[in-house]
Amino acid sequence: MDFTHTWLPFIYLYGLGGILFIAGIIITIKSGSFDLSRKAHKKWMWVLLFGFVWYLMMHALMTWAALDIISAYTVPIVLLGMVVVFIIVTLKLRKIKEV
Amino acid sequence: MQTFHSIGTTTDWIVMVVYFIAIMLFGSYFGRYTKNTSDFFFGGRRFSWWLITMSIVATGVGSHSFVKYSAKGFEHGISSSMTYLNDWFFIPFFMFGWLPIIVYSKIRSIPEYFEKRFSPSARFLATILLLLYMIGYIGIGFLTLGKAVIPMLPEAFTVLGMTLPITLMGAIIVIAVITGVYITFGGQTAVIFTDLLQGFILLFAGFLLFFFGITYLGGFDVFWNLLPTEWKLPLADFNQPANFNFVGIFWQDAIAGSIGFLFMNQGLIMRFMACKNVNEGRKAAAVNILFVLPISAIVVGNAGWIGKAISLVSPDIISPSVSPDEIFVVVANIIASPGMFGFIMAALTAALMSTVDTLINATAAIFINDVYRPVQQFFKRNVMSAIERDRKELLAARYASIGVTALGVLAVLAFKNFPTVYEAHGYFHSTLTPPLVVGIFLGVFWKRFTPAAVITTFVGGVALMILGARYPGIFIAPFDHGIEMNPDHPYSYIRALYNTLVCSGAAVVVTLTTQWQRKLITAIRENQNQKMIMNMMVAITVMVFAVVLFNVSVLSVQVLATIAVLILLPLTVTYYVKYDENINTNGLTASSIDVARNLFKGGNPNDQEGEKVFVQLKQVDGDDTVIHFSTKDMAKMKAAVGDLVYISDKRKWMGGLKSIHSVFGVPHDEDGTVYITPDQIKHGLFVEGKILEAEKEM
Repeated sequence: MDFTHTWLPFIYLYGLGGILFIAGIIITIKSGSFDLSRKAHKKWMWVLLFGFVWYLMMHALMTWAALDIISAYTVPIVLLGMVVVFIIVTLKLRKIKEV
Repeated sequence: MQTFHSIGTTTDWIVMVVYFIAIMLFGSYFGRYTKNTSDFFFGGRRFSWWLITMSIVATGVGSHSFVKYSAKGFEHGISSSMTYLNDWFFIPFFMFGWLPIIVYSKIRSIPEYFEKRFSPSARFLATILLLLYMIGYIGIGFLTLGKAVIPMLPEAFTVLGMTLPITLMGAIIVIAVITGVYITFGGQTAVIFTDLLQGFILLFAGFLLFFFGITYLGGFDVFWNLLPTEWKLPLADFNQPANFNFVGIFWQDAIAGSIGFLFMNQGLIMRFMACKNVNEGRKAAAVNILFVLPISAIVVGNAGWIGKAISLVSPDIISPSVSPDEIFVVVANIIASPGMFGFIMAALTAALMSTVDTLINATAAIFINDVYRPVQQFFKRNVMSAIERDRKELLAARYASIGVTALGVLAVLAFKNFPTVYEAHGYFHSTLTPPLVVGIFLGVFWKRFTPAAVITTFVGGVALMILGARYPGIFIAPFDHGIEMNPDHPYSYIRALYNTLVCSGAAVVVTLTTQWQRKLITAIRENQNQKMIMNMMVAITVMVFAVVLFNVSVLSVQVLATIAVLILLPLTVTYYVKYDENINTNGLTASSIDVARNLFKGGNPNDQEGEKVFVQLKQVDGDDTVIHFSTKDMAKMKAAVGDLVYISDKRKWMGGLKSIHSVFGVPHDEDGTVYITPDQIKHGLFVEGKILEAEKEM
């Protein structure tokens, strides 16, 4: 398969998209609206970073599956595993009370 | 291209009619909770995140419809899902920038933000652009609905011996009447609850179709192995073909579309405003984008993938030349049994109606807030009581819904000649979103962004966009990333990059040259002929903009005219618009959200985290603006007199339908009891004897 159909779109999406995503985090932190000294906002940082990795993994796994590098069944299994991790960590973070 | 008519059986039609009646009755039941314009448009700011998440499903899935993604799935495979899987990049900006601002500043519409942040003239232009965007969106919704039902209808029907053909526009008009009737008498609460139900049904129907399809083909392995590699890839080829390429769709959808959807889709914004607080809005957005959108991508696109697989093994059953916009209906009809096909079609059309309902409701909100009220104020017709005014506005909102529905039908004419709904939608997004997207985005995140800059973005940016649309080979080609230009629909997607860049460029250059503009205007003000100079400047600006708008003269003249607009307009705005950066940005930019919270509360927020308390209500007469808890309960909540409180029915599954926001009043000594007035009980839909849950907000 041609690189322009396999990994170039992936690199462009997460390269440029990643720059915008990081810029969003930096700008909102610098403006003070995203305040990491507040525990509630720290929990949101976890959600934001998980979301980025979640989508990156989803596209990477789907590309590998399409190229027959991994089985198509691996995609939902890994993604379900990520969901479980997300739920466990988020619930643990929920128990931390803000002072 | 192969097209279909009269697909489906009588059983399917019966199922569809029953489904629609059930949905309308369900919506009407919740329509009774609409008491005023706040309820009609915002559902009273009371709902939990999960309810809003599910109600967004129907809107999102409906607008990014089964029809268009199945079409692209049939033509290009699993990469049809990429539009659903690229919305996360702007979420930090939304969660910690735009969402708190729209909630805390208590704006009711996006143009209202432009007035507070910039000037009334910025609001006026934003209203025009936003109404065009919303009505265009409604037009796309109607077009999709029409294309979905046409294959089920006969080619013609006979009345009194006359044979009347069934046309796309005819079907759309009938659909518009049904949609308009529902939204006009329902309101936002009805829409949210109807969408909640439909969200579940849609996901179920979509997966049901996938299951039937996989079973029909003989299992997942058969399906997967049938698809060629390029159809299994999740992202399209980088820059080809012209009608479906990754880079064009990235700029059209992941950039312009995502910001447009999150920041300027009034329908979606109203959903988030209907959340009980900012944090619930964040949860609704996060769960929706992280988990619901990937599921929705499968739900809406799988008919196309299944159709492609069937066409490879049995081209006699599904021909590769089937009209892509009809593939969903064709596949559903082949793989689902009679009755089940009717159910799937009912779910599809009802979802599309949900989207259109939401958009009509949102557009009516813009009309009331940004046209009706300013006009009433201009003619000083505000002498009536608040109740009387609200009654009249509610009536006007209902008439506005009817008007907007009619305009939405007319908007279909602009899109019906595109080969597929997907391309029509892509072109529409690329063209209409950039000026407003840039205006909102820089308004929120750049304190220095001025009224002169935002108005130049709206007018000068549009002039540059018109040049791009008129001469795509000259202006858009340098940004095309190697995409071939289709002369019939040039650069449907990548034009979003050009449009965003020229609007951003106009915005940044004008903002950075603010001091020069002020110096020049100061010099003009010192001239005794200042009024004449400014009148001439306005006249020249209007004339040169008209040269571009109406395509007068040759390209070089139009370019010069655009440059003139970009120079003269900021000067004109700087002269006429009174603007104080510190006052106008207070609480309206990401750097002043704490101020916004202070203004929202009317005092310093109390961020100490307390516990929730469960109380019984006790009806008392008194001040309707406060409610009273015991001293001990307030201590548990870490609340003080004057803090904001949210109190709701304890039953979580109600999602906040029975709830109110209020203020802590002077405490009493009766633990486990809240003193509350009859009016508050009525507004919160509380039932005596039921336990209530209270929490301090701030």
